[in-house]
Amino acid sequence: MSDRLTGELVAPLPAVDAASWLAALADAKSMLANLAVRRGATGPFRVTDHDVRATLGGEAGDRAGREPFAWSTRTARRSLGLAAVRMLVAGRARSPVEGVQARLAESSLWVREGSSSASQLDRWLAGLPSAALAAVGAEAVTWATRLWCALDWSAFAAPPVVGRDRWWDSPHSALLALRGRADVRTARSHLVVLSGPRRTSVRAELALVILVESLRARGGAVPGRVVGWWPDSGQVVRVDPEPAVLTLGAEAVALVLAGARAPVRSAA
Amino acid sequence: MVLVAPRIRHPAGPPGPADRGAGSDVLALLRGDTSARPRFDPGLAGGLRAWLEDAAYEVVAARGEHAPALFLGPRQLLGSPSERNEQGGGEHLSGEVVLSRLVHALFRQLVHTGEIDDPLGDALEALRAGDGEAVLRHVESLPSSSRSALAEAVASHAATLRSQVPRFAPGWMPRTDDRVATPLAGGRVVLHGVFDLIVGLPQPGTASLCALGLATGGPWAWHRRSLHYLALLETLRSSTPPFRLALLESTTGRCGVEDVREEHLRAIASHIAAWLTRQAAANE
Repeated sequence: MSDRLTGELVAPLPAVDAASWLAALADAKSMLANLAVRRGATGPFRVTDHDVRATLGGEAGDRAGREPFAWSTRTARRSLGLAAVRMLVAGRARSPVEGVQARLAESSLWVREGSSSASQLDRWLAGLPSAALAAVGAEAVTWATRLWCALDWSAFAAPPVVGRDRWWDSPHSALLALRGRADVRTARSHLVVLSGPRRTSVRAELALVILVESLRARGGAVPGRVVGWWPDSGQVVRVDPEPAVLTLGAEAVALVLAGARAPVRSAA
Repeated sequence: MVLVAPRIRHPAGPPGPADRGAGSDVLALLRGDTSARPRFDPGLAGGLRAWLEDAAYEVVAARGEHAPALFLGPRQLLGSPSERNEQGGGEHLSGEVVLSRLVHALFRQLVHTGEIDDPLGDALEALRAGDGEAVLRHVESLPSSSRSALAEAVASHAATLRSQVPRFAPGWMPRTDDRVATPLAGGRVVLHGVFDLIVGLPQPGTASLCALGLATGGPWAWHRRSLHYLALLETLRSSTPPFRLALLESTTGRCGVEDVREEHLRAIASHIAAWLTRQAAANE
């Protein structure tokens, strides 16, 4: 798996026609500007990949949309696992177990000392008995080990950025923001760890990452490809940056804001 | 399968100093000869997948293109050993399922921290932080005599785990509850399962992982087949099977280890293909 997945991340990007790209980007910006104005009166709205899945994902999306958020072993594993992988990449931990233990210790320290770095997750962890904390740690270790073992980290020219979500705030309304979630970012690619079954909405979920990167880029620069990976099955889905992907991402945002449950029109 | 004689059972309760570092014979069996990791035919996974895909498409054709996806785990494909309702999310939790979920939570804790303080209390806390609501409700609804009996049973399993489960060095990359799934026929049939424990670093083209299964009840042969099933899913996921499988029975301390061979994978793939073909015939 490490060869295949790493290969997807380091493979050269296909050429993109600059004029078509800039035109699609302008269209996407225009569509988002209209959406921002229309949503203005109804309060802030943040669109994430989770929202796209919940809106477009059919059966899988229905489940994703129904469950209210609560911290648990499952919802905490990504944050803790990413922290562990970040330490491994930086050479500050020698194994996922060490990385997760270090993150849990850090969390405990922050809460004890009242640090401003303490997050809602840190405060939840601080209230857990030791057996529950062990269960949370074990789940995070499994998550981190799968990611750590899935890539040949020495194949990247520069150390990848691990687990930094990026936001785009609409310049037309402070109430609209889009989130691009990726777990590993290199100079030319973004890896998204996926869960749940393979679903029709997955390309729209990944298109949102490309849309956010494109909107944040200066001068209409074309961002890297997005690779979605299911650790359970080893399946990979690749979305390359092309004009139709921008349209797909913008349409997905529109459908989320409309609360619609209709298929995305774009063939991207 | 190489069998290891069970150790003398320890009474329930916290381990004494002599118990520390237990499980060394299990550890040695898992490690084996590190210079002799087998290489598998790189075309094996593709061949097995093609075999299963053919059978899965028969099911899809019989059930109809728009039927909901069929999710199949070892209990559907291999028959249930004794434990009903594997996921534990329904109204009909059996005592065996509850015990199994509690003991698996302790196993996970032991692998991760090396310690169990209060077996039933620890297991319940672990499930409370995860997705064990149904088990928690079941235990909380028990009368005190049944709850005491359950606490005794869990403590007995915990004593076996303490004596048999080795402490893994972090460099072995131990991970628990590793879920594996194989979508077939475009995701309309999904084979799934969970490795209780995997150790080792994946190496392309070489079988380098070792999987350990925990059995809390039911026939040994069923659990062994279930491990072969998981080895097949790992082969389909990463193109390489685990090199070794271990099975630990927490009721008795019995432990067995065997190397994965191509005939194990072919036999279980043949069984699943036949199962799917029977399903297709039943739906026609």
